[in-house]
Amino acid sequence: MKKIETIIKPFKLDDVKEGLAALGVKGLTVTEVKGFGRQRGHREVYRGAEYQVDFVSKIKIEVVLESELVQDAVQVIQEKARTGQIGDGKIFLLPVEEVIRIRTGETGNAAV
Amino acid sequence: MTSPIDELKQSKDHLFSLFSRGEITETFQGDYTEIMDHYFRRSLQENAAGESLFAKKHPFALVALGGYGRKELCYHSDIDIMVLFKNGIPSEAADLAEKMFFPLWDIGLELGHATRNIRDCLTLSKQDFQVFTSLLDARFIGGDSPLYLNLVETFQKKLICKKPGNFWQWLKEMTESRTEVFGDASYLLEPNLKEGIGGLRDYHHILWLARVFFNARVPRDLEYLGLLTHAEYLGLEKQLRMIWLTRNHLHSLAGRKNDRLIFEYQDRIALHLGYRNKPGFPAVEQFLGDLHAAMAAVKSLYRSFVITHLPETKQPRKPEADTLSDSPDFRIEHGQIGFKTATDILSRPVLLMNIFEKSSQFGIPLSLESKRLVKEFLYLADDAFRSSKEVVRIFLDIINHPRAFDILDQMFETGLLETFVPEYKGIKDRIQFDTYHVFPIGRHALKTLQYLKTLSLEKDFLFVDILADLPNPEPLFLAALFHDIGKRGKDHALRGAAITAQILKRFYYDRDLQKDVLFLIHHHLLLAETATRRDLNDEKSVVQCARAIGDIHRLKMLYLLTWADSMATGPKAWNEWTANLVRELFFKVLHILEKGKLATPLAQKKVKEKLSRVRRLVGEMNHPHHDLDRLFEAMAPRYLLETPVQAIVRHLEILQDLGASFNNPENTNFCLQTNKNQAEGSWEITLMAKDRPGLFSDIAGILALNNINILSAYIYTWRDGTAVDIFRVTDPLDLIHPEDIWKRVEKDMAGIFAGDFDLPERLANKTRSSILGRQKPHSRAPKARFDNDSSDFFTIVEVFADDRVGLLYDITQTLFRNDINITIAKISTKADQIADIFYVHDLEGQKIEGKDRMESIKKNLLRVIQTHPAH
Repeated sequence: MKKIETIIKPFKLDDVKEGLAALGVKGLTVTEVKGFGRQRGHREVYRGAEYQVDFVSKIKIEVVLESELVQDAVQVIQEKARTGQIGDGKIFLLPVEEVIRIRTGETGNAAV
Repeated sequence: MTSPIDELKQSKDHLFSLFSRGEITETFQGDYTEIMDHYFRRSLQENAAGESLFAKKHPFALVALGGYGRKELCYHSDIDIMVLFKNGIPSEAADLAEKMFFPLWDIGLELGHATRNIRDCLTLSKQDFQVFTSLLDARFIGGDSPLYLNLVETFQKKLICKKPGNFWQWLKEMTESRTEVFGDASYLLEPNLKEGIGGLRDYHHILWLARVFFNARVPRDLEYLGLLTHAEYLGLEKQLRMIWLTRNHLHSLAGRKNDRLIFEYQDRIALHLGYRNKPGFPAVEQFLGDLHAAMAAVKSLYRSFVITHLPETKQPRKPEADTLSDSPDFRIEHGQIGFKTATDILSRPVLLMNIFEKSSQFGIPLSLESKRLVKEFLYLADDAFRSSKEVVRIFLDIINHPRAFDILDQMFETGLLETFVPEYKGIKDRIQFDTYHVFPIGRHALKTLQYLKTLSLEKDFLFVDILADLPNPEPLFLAALFHDIGKRGKDHALRGAAITAQILKRFYYDRDLQKDVLFLIHHHLLLAETATRRDLNDEKSVVQCARAIGDIHRLKMLYLLTWADSMATGPKAWNEWTANLVRELFFKVLHILEKGKLATPLAQKKVKEKLSRVRRLVGEMNHPHHDLDRLFEAMAPRYLLETPVQAIVRHLEILQDLGASFNNPENTNFCLQTNKNQAEGSWEITLMAKDRPGLFSDIAGILALNNINILSAYIYTWRDGTAVDIFRVTDPLDLIHPEDIWKRVEKDMAGIFAGDFDLPERLANKTRSSILGRQKPHSRAPKARFDNDSSDFFTIVEVFADDRVGLLYDITQTLFRNDINITIAKISTKADQIADIFYVHDLEGQKIEGKDRMESIKKNLLRVIQTHPAH
């Protein structure tokens, strides 16, 4: 089992979500996040006052998958979230030790 | 015979089932109270302890308190009761209570009971106003009635008449804390029916105050004592029926005492109350609209009751009264404004609007009486009134006034706003049934305006500065007020603009300003939607947004409206995350509009015309329509603006020839087209291929290799990665067989694409022997400049230098080697000078940042320009 964490542009959320759903992904977590990577914030000046934007608004999607699905999922995210412009984001893969469904106590792939 | 408790249980179950079947509705509280009274009386009769108490000369009375005392028992209300003794409390009292009260707990009733003597009642009431109010509601049920009367008299003499001011102060504090905790129920989406402002508590306050200050004993006294008019009393009864009925259903569904009308029950209650879905207007929204209207009416009645009948601590400021003293129409009394003579309204209906203007000027509310008069004379506000120049002028003055919110609030309350703008009818109290919108539409519109009016209190100076920059914010205020007026189903922004157009036409509103208002309403979602649904790093998305806006003042107003609208929608609509995105968009659009060119109305018109001509011409080709839309979408904004129609059509043809596989990133197809321009004695070369870093440099190099001198060049990269490079070049050296040279150029290009052509080596060989490559003395020092300010999307590199063969290749090659990707280029040559402008990114697609980096590239550029040749 793996966890995919991906940071994408806000307007790509629907595309990525649909792409993952088409793969059979049953659930995911979406968070509005702010941060910076290569794409930095910037400074604006209006009437002499400076407005520093340190962080860029992005969407973070977290999804835990059976290992067999991971490669396809990564590919889908890459395809759907890509614009070729700066700030397309990143995909992180993390190993998952265990998943437990709180209601039933099921574990492993059955709980994903 | 059944025991009292069994009888109670049966009657109660029967009543409850009648209610759930809808056979009993409005009489429920009274019926339930009667059933309880009956239980207590029977229980008292059959209670041995009771008899023995009377026998031992310990008379007592059963007294209902609080809501039970007011006969307002709802489905799961608490039942508060007191056993009252004269002096001491005998030990049998415990036995009495046990027999009478314990069975009630057993059947699950929430019972609050106390055993007190008269002195206890007074002491506790002095300490705690809660006890005081519960005793205000006291009602005799059974036992010794003289004892009860004794309590009432003592209470009246020793407490009520003593310090009514303290009680009034306490109620004011209660209202404040209720506002804080429960909010204004008359527009919250999940109102608290009891404690919310506009809830039952407001009505209780009226009752208590009437009792304390005017000795009103029963609700009907409100009217008999002249505290409320007949119409107001009837209205109040009606509103209370609605709230009580809702509350009973809520308790019944929730299975417990719960006064917050939470989301999950609203649908079912709406159906219980007989609301049915209509197209575009769900039952639940109709229900909430009516409920809010009822609670708003209770709220307003309480306010005006307080203002009219209670001693006000704050006296009106003298100067204001003086200012009005010479006004023939209005006067100020108790810090409120009123009409001098009501009959004047008949001859001059404009006074109906006028009084609100005065109210805004002096910052004091209308008196209850004048509100009554406005309501009464609303019928005078006819079509002539609605389009009267004077009335409209006054209305606009009110809108522009800093206190506009309070004034419009009063206009809403009296119904004048709806009468003056009938388009608001049926939509004012309309609720949007989701967790996102917290307020109904009319309230939301006012709130939006309020946010704009109180902008100066915001921490964000940017908004304050922007508002200060507007030459005339009136269109913004009007748009705030009307932006959701078309909210019935889809496309509400467009419909809202159309409805507002009618309103403004009726106002004879200034044409240009009208356009601004309509634009703002039509596009009030544009910024928020673009910011969250489009790529802000993509110039075209932003340019499209800028084109839709087209004007800096409009952009500023739209930004403020977006913010105020979102703030007034609810806590979920605006947060730092969204604010961040919208601000980024605002600045990018602002910069594009300030630079002009890409987004001027003229540019927009030009591009639109171009596209429709291209579409017509392409009609004969085999492009399916949707494909064409996709391609238009892909074309860079500057390309669309600068390329003639014929050329665009030709490029589309080339694209089709390149075939479907062209979109494959590994594709190495390219197309080279040459056309002779007879008039100018020059050639135009068009190259189309998949873009990659260094592509432009390669072509420049091959042209130099073949002794083709570049006069000017435009290179564009579409959003789908298609590179379109257009060169105007001098005649080839071989004027007789130019096609041979073009063939060679094409062959060399193919070699480059295939990866087996060593361009640097070939160029080096060539320049050694070329006469054109001979170095001339520099007439002017070359210049290179990096500009990061002019565009939010690109770094612009400008190079000026003396021309020579291969120079463009050297420059572009240097950029390529420094990891710079050219997206757009404009190359021009005048006499022997070149002026090249490159719109570039680094390989990440980002602007070139960092002083050191720019300096080093600049140095490389200048060196390669001067040291010839660089290979």
